Amino acid sequence: MLIIEKQNISEWLDGLTKKMPVFAPVRREINGAEESVFGEFKPETKIDFDYLPTVRSIKEFFLPEKENIFVFDKRKNKIAESPAPKKFALFGLNGRDIEALAQLDEIMAKPDQDFFYFQKRSAATIIGLLRESEKTVSGCDLILSKINQGQYEIIVLTEKGRKLVKNKLFKNEPAIITSGGSKSDEIMPQLSELLKDPELLADSVKWSWRQDYAIWEELGNLCLGCGICTYICPLCYCFSSEDSVGLDNNQCIRARQWDACTLPRFAQISGGCNFHKTIKERYYNWYYHKFVRAYEEYGKSQCVACGRCQKYCPAKIDIEKYLIRIVENYKKSRQ
Amino acid sequence: MENIYLPRRAKITKIERQSPDVKLFRFQKIGGPANYGASKFAKNKNGLIFNPGQFILAGIWGYGEAPFGLLSSPYKNSYLEISVRNTGGNVTHALHRLQKGDEITFRGPYGVGFPLDFLKSKDLVMVAGGYGIPPIAGLIEYIIKNRKNFGRIYLIYGAKTPQDLLLKSKINEWQKQIKVILTVDNPDAEWKGAVGMVSELVKNIEIDANNACAAMCGPGPMMTALEKILRPLGISDRRIFVSLERKMQCGIGKCQHCATGNKYVCADGPIFYFDQIDKNWD
Repeated sequence: MLIIEKQNISEWLDGLTKKMPVFAPVRREINGAEESVFGEFKPETKIDFDYLPTVRSIKEFFLPEKENIFVFDKRKNKIAESPAPKKFALFGLNGRDIEALAQLDEIMAKPDQDFFYFQKRSAATIIGLLRESEKTVSGCDLILSKINQGQYEIIVLTEKGRKLVKNKLFKNEPAIITSGGSKSDEIMPQLSELLKDPELLADSVKWSWRQDYAIWEELGNLCLGCGICTYICPLCYCFSSEDSVGLDNNQCIRARQWDACTLPRFAQISGGCNFHKTIKERYYNWYYHKFVRAYEEYGKSQCVACGRCQKYCPAKIDIEKYLIRIVENYKKSRQ
Repeated sequence: MENIYLPRRAKITKIERQSPDVKLFRFQKIGGPANYGASKFAKNKNGLIFNPGQFILAGIWGYGEAPFGLLSSPYKNSYLEISVRNTGGNVTHALHRLQKGDEITFRGPYGVGFPLDFLKSKDLVMVAGGYGIPPIAGLIEYIIKNRKNFGRIYLIYGAKTPQDLLLKSKINEWQKQIKVILTVDNPDAEWKGAVGMVSELVKNIEIDANNACAAMCGPGPMMTALEKILRPLGISDRRIFVSLERKMQCGIGKCQHCATGNKYVCADGPIFYFDQIDKNWD
């Protein structure tokens, strides 16, 4: 079995930083609270090996908050495209984040490959870090899967991953596997269960808009329409584009930036007509996209139960609870 | 991999005022990125430079892009035409300030147009309201070029006032080949046409309901046309093709702004069977 000692991981990553910048989950104080974030790895960095969700998801490494589509130089009369991104490594994704990335890859490839996303995606090396309770998932280059308190088993998934393990710190030797860790660190366990039946979720959410409207009245009153859930969701990828010009009017920059379907003008067209006028409609649209449209398009819910939206919702909406209620009500209506 | 968000550059060759707030723009390609260098628009597998019903995202450096239906003939490969209502928005307002010779950008054509093969050899009733005429205009240009392949063709075009009827000179040309019924909500003293989208208009239309289709584009009141004209004519919802309008940013089914229920207006549409979107959650 190919393994690496937990205590050697930092040394290995330090070596990797000689070739490319490495980002890893670390603890940071944000607004007085200690949170996990993906930060650049330095020799002194203390890695957060068992992070629950990081505040912001890893999508921003591939679909940043804002990026230039092009810069048009009026004097030179030329369009300058953004330079190709440099190589980097992303270390320590947990199972749900890997799953989210694999789904985002699928989404961004349809119907045509998203240029900017895949430019960055091919520049990246993804290294997963699974807890004992997590099952192996595809979607990254290399996985470090915890087998006991001090060791990780190495699972190579791609050629990029294979290159990384040609290193004396990885050893082929027998190891003791302490079976499955505790389930107590599971996030949103009930939603994780629900996600195993995306068809039921799709049917329930679709049904609820007409037949269980009270729930949407309730949610429409609770939701502030701030868009936080969409910003931190690893699988929300709405964007809009915006032009800007320099003060001398010589350069025009067209950039694309995150948008949120819960924001008031998301579906408003020129001339004022707004196809989603109320918060209720917009908040429903968020669920509709994740559980209905996504199911019809990809056969899956666009949710990995990472827990971010629920943890950081300023209105404290218990999304898991509401989804369970919707599904339960739907099931009852079928009896 | 191609940068699908990079626009092509075009030069305005004609501007024509259509109504107090609408202008028509004709433009041709100018040298853009190397692979788009040719000055003619490329033909698709139908031998057309766009399928009627498709749209482009027209833009101006520094102001952004907005979607517009193509109204010129899909056979004319040297230029495209769009009509732009000045809504006061960024893009339309800036477009209205441009002069002949100025530069714009465009991406597309995008989306799915009218099902030309399905419409072939059938009678067709087209209904357009106000600013909704462009996609219908593109279809009419196609039909006229292939007039023998179609049955009886009607255009019912309604607007608020006679001044708001667009593309008047094109309509004069079309009238030689197809039957055109014009109607306005608020007629002036000289108006001789019909008033309102009213059921009486049905009397002027002679079609074989078993072999007829309809095409529709325009604002909400078009539902009146559906109830009062198309359904009484006996055309089923599956044979009614509508062009939808939504906010669009990417034009290629990614950004999510135009989603209506389980469909993307930019990529699955903008032309839909009516019953595809009728019961959809918006």
